[in-house]
Parts: sequence; structure tokens; C-alpha cells
Amino acid sequence: MIQVTELRKQFGKVTALDGLTFTAPEGQITGLLGPNGAGKTTCLRTIYGLLKADSGQALIDGIDASKEPLEARRNIGIFPDKFGLYERLTAREQVAYFAALHGLDKDTGEAAVQEALERLDMLAIADRKATGFSQGQRMKVALAQAIVHRPKHLILDEPSRGLDVMSTRILRDLLRELRSQGTSILFSSHVMQEVAALCDQVVVVAKGKVAAQGTTEELCQLTGESALEEAFVKIIGTDEGIAA
Amino acid sequence: MSKSVRSPIGIVWRKELKDAIRDKRSVMAAMSYAFFGPLLMAVAFYVMISQLTDPSDVEIDIKGAENAPALINYLEQQGIVERDKAWPAGQQPIELDIGESWADDIASATPAPVTLTADFSATKQRSDIRRIEQAIEGYSSKLSFIRMQMRGLDPRVVQPIDLIKQDTATKGSRSAILMGSVLIFILLSVFFSGMNVAIDISAGERERNSLELLLSQPLSSHQLVLGKAFAASCFAMFGGVLSVVLIPIIFRFLPLHNIGISVSIEWPMMLLMVLMLAPLALFATALQLFVSFRAKSFKEAQTYISFLLMLPMLAVFGVEFARLKNPVLYYLPLTGQHQALLDIIKGEALQWLPLVVSGVVTAIVSLLIIRFIGKMLASEKVVFGL
Repeated sequence: MIQVTELRKQFGKVTALDGLTFTAPEGQITGLLGPNGAGKTTCLRTIYGLLKADSGQALIDGIDASKEPLEARRNIGIFPDKFGLYERLTAREQVAYFAALHGLDKDTGEAAVQEALERLDMLAIADRKATGFSQGQRMKVALAQAIVHRPKHLILDEPSRGLDVMSTRILRDLLRELRSQGTSILFSSHVMQEVAALCDQVVVVAKGKVAAQGTTEELCQLTGESALEEAFVKIIGTDEGIAA
Repeated sequence: MSKSVRSPIGIVWRKELKDAIRDKRSVMAAMSYAFFGPLLMAVAFYVMISQLTDPSDVEIDIKGAENAPALINYLEQQGIVERDKAWPAGQQPIELDIGESWADDIASATPAPVTLTADFSATKQRSDIRRIEQAIEGYSSKLSFIRMQMRGLDPRVVQPIDLIKQDTATKGSRSAILMGSVLIFILLSVFFSGMNVAIDISAGERERNSLELLLSQPLSSHQLVLGKAFAASCFAMFGGVLSVVLIPIIFRFLPLHNIGISVSIEWPMMLLMVLMLAPLALFATALQLFVSFRAKSFKEAQTYISFLLMLPMLAVFGVEFARLKNPVLYYLPLTGQHQALLDIIKGEALQWLPLVVSGVVTAIVSLLIIRFIGKMLASEKVVFGL
């Protein structure tokens, strides 16, 4: 379970997080929905301890990443905002690197890498060097890196950007499967359809605060709108920075 | 912990090394410096030696040769002959003028005037002019010996002092000046060879956007930097070892014995040099990682590092040319290794204590820098450039 309580973060004069509070329970997909610049990425980075909150805390299974970063990170898989591949390594080697960093020994690691590559339908490109990979193929490598050690928590920052239809389906199936295995999944997005299609719970973030929280239906009811997009616009009061 | 669970440092080291070896640019950079540096020196030395030991005859204009055939004969034996070609442009003619009164003067034992006309400030002709002077002086003293013997005097009476020159210079120490410049190449090789890798695994990591994810993995930033530093040091050492091995080989092909210099570096000494370079390689890498982790791109890092390269150059050249002789130099990073290498090349006794101390100091300073980089990467300000 990921618990975020009263998170505040200031970058100079800009308030990125302004008392953000929500939880991402086990076996559920929690969507962090918000316009660009709402503080989604800052929030995720704070959860895995790359940024330090000015106040408040983020707990991963009760562990605070700002205090015990290594302990906290052992239990999460991360798909970051920016990801780059090592162009001279093959897809398999990249994934194996992250498996090893998570402490998987050689044999277990190899099996886990193979499984992750199969799961993401990447065997055809597994032993090719990353140079020349398409955006979708790069995303898949990054996803495989995030899930190879079978983390109990998965944090994804806009995971579907740049994916084609087939890859998006694979991603959705993967997230549903992981959910059924009890993983708590937290992902940020500004794509409405994706959130509506996947999430058990939607946290609408605007200006560093939770503007509303609930299932898609609850949000629609709350605003009296029939579509999530309309509900969303009503909640944050503007349609700036949203993609349908 | 089971045996197969690897240390994060080792994992990072292996991955970076694999990555770097596949990077042809890094490998070429490491090799080319180790190859071309000594090769360049060799060519320079070759030209210098062939100038110094020029055995060809000195060709000069001689006026009044017919007056003193015996002198001309003597000069010819000494490799000084009459010139039949024109002087090349830009070279002042050297002219020896033997007076018409030569035969009479010799017969009457009065000084016979011989005029040597030349540009005495011309550097290129200095050795030629000296040879002529020496030859004339030689002939002159030969004549005076004969004259004294003819008059029943011991020629030694005009030689009250016999200056005995005892040259304490070992063959090795004579070469030290020459080898000093070679040393600089060996020392700098560890700074140059690992440079490309150091940039790629720090600023490159940031440029390709892989730094954030890497820092979010369950290993400390200190372990990460250590693994990376060891990988880049391996490349630095690769260049270092290559230059240590290549330089003696290249010098074997140079006619150094012609100028009275012998360079023979035995295997144990080469091994010692390699051992000395090891902490220096780590030091070089740590410095390079420090500056290039602060850079946002490969280009930016290259700019910083080219400034950084001035540091070892200034230190080494400064000590070399200012002829600094402070005992502290033996204990510091870089200058310590420099002094010890100088001693090895001169064939002097090694000062083991300073050698070990400077090695340990270098390693400790490097590890401190690495620890500091680790701290730096734990700061969000540095990571995200806030």
C-alpha cells in the first residue's frame, strides 16, 4: 500500500505539492489524473525518495523513502517520467541490469528477465541493441525494467505515451494481471480514456492538491456529468492541459 | 547472503565496463592516446638525436688552402673539408682564411694568422664552428709540442694544471631530462584514457535521461559512483599500462646510445610503474566524474574536463620546469608518482616510504571525492538541476 499524507513541496516560489493526501491500496489501480504541471511527477518522485518533501510523508508499506530509501525502493517498480536506454546494450541486458540491482541472483534473474520479456511480447527484439528501437519498443524495455523483480508496488509516470494500439493493450492487460496478483499500482496520466478504462480509483490533482477522489462513477455523480472528461473539467475548473 | 548475490558496486562496474567496451569511440580514445603520445615523442627524439650526432663532414669555404697543405690535410682528417657547393639560403657562410705568410710564420715560429669568419650566434652552425675551433686548436697544440721537443723542452711545462673531469652522471641520469618529458606522457595517459568513459557514464547518463531511474534503484548513490569510478579507472589503467609497456619498446628502436643515453626499464620496474598508476587512475576518474556529474550534457562535460586536464599538466610541467625540490612533493597525489617515476627512470634508489604514502594518499583522496559525488547525487538540487 502506498500512503501519501499532507505532502508539501516548494520549488523556489512555485508550490508543486500543497498538502497532497491519498492512498493507493493493494490489488487496485490508482490513477493520478491532472493537467500538466499539477504536481503528478513531483508527487511520484517524492514517493520513491528522489525528492524530499518539505513536510508530510509518503509511505510504501509503512516505509518512508526519505528515511530508508533502499528499503523502500526494494518493494517498488518504477517507470519514470524520463527514461533513457543504454544504446549499446540489448533489451535483455538492460532488463537484466535492473534485475541484478534489485538483488536477483544469476539464475533467478535470468528466469525473471525471460518472463518479463515474454509478458511484454518482446522476445523478437530481446537480443537486439537498443539503438534504432522505436518509441514503443523503448517503452516496453522500460516497463520490463520496472516489473522484472515482481515488485509489490508499481509506480508509473504516464506509461502509455507513445505506445501504439497493440502495445497499449499489452500494457493494460499487464496492469490488470498485476492487480489481480495483489500489486498496488499507482500511475499518473492526463489521458482520460486510459484512466476511465483502467482505474479502480481516480485521484484528481490540481495545483498540488487533491481536487476530488473516487471511482469514475463517483466522480461523475459528484459533478452531475455523464462522462469523466466533463466531470474532470468541472472539478479542476479549466480544460487546460487535458488530452481526451 | 548466498554467494550468487552480487554487490551493487560489482553489478554497476560490470555493466559500465561492458557498455564502454562496446563503445568504439571510448576504446579508440583510450588506445590512441597511449599509442600516439609515445610515438610522437619517439619521432621528436629521433630528429633530435640525428641532429646531435650528425657525423657528416663540415663543409666550409677555405681561402689560401695552398699556403698550408699540412693544415688542410689535418682538417680533412677531422672531417672539415672545402666546400664546392653554394651555401643554402639563410645560412651564413663559414670561411677559414689562411694567411699568405703561413709558411714563413711557421718557419720563424711566430703566430700564423688564420681568420675564421662566421655568424657565431647561429644556433644551427654552433656545433660546426666548435668543431672547426677544436680542430685548429688541436693542430696548434700539436705544433707547439713538436716545437718544444725540438728545443729540448718537456712539452708538459706549458701545461701546469691537468684538469681531471670525473663525470658522476650515471648513464641513466643523463637521460633524465629527456625522459622527463616521456614521464609526463605516462602520467597523463591515465587522465586521457578514461576520460571518454567517465563522461559517458556521468553526463551521458543524464543526457540520455537514464540517471533518474538509476538513482531510484535500491543501491546507494555512493555504491553507484564507486562502481562507475572503478569501470572508468579500468579504462584509464588500460591506457596507462599500454603506455608503460609501449614506451620502452619504442625507445629500443631509437639510437639513444649515440648520445650517451641508455634507457633500460626492466620488467619489475614496469610492474611497479603500473602499480603506481593504479591509485592515480582512480584519482583521475574521481576528478573527472566530479566535474562531469555536474554537467548537463556530454558537450558541457567535455568542456569542463578539458579545463580539468590542465591541472595535471600544470602540476607536472610546473614541477619539471621550476625544478621544485620540496620533499612534500614526494607524498602528494600526482607529484608523488611523478617523483617516483623520475627516480625509476634515472636509475636512482627508490624512496619506498614516500612512494607508498603517496599511493595511499592518492587512493584516500579519490575515495573521498567519490564519497562526495555520492552525497552530491543524493541531493535533488544536483540531480534535477534545481
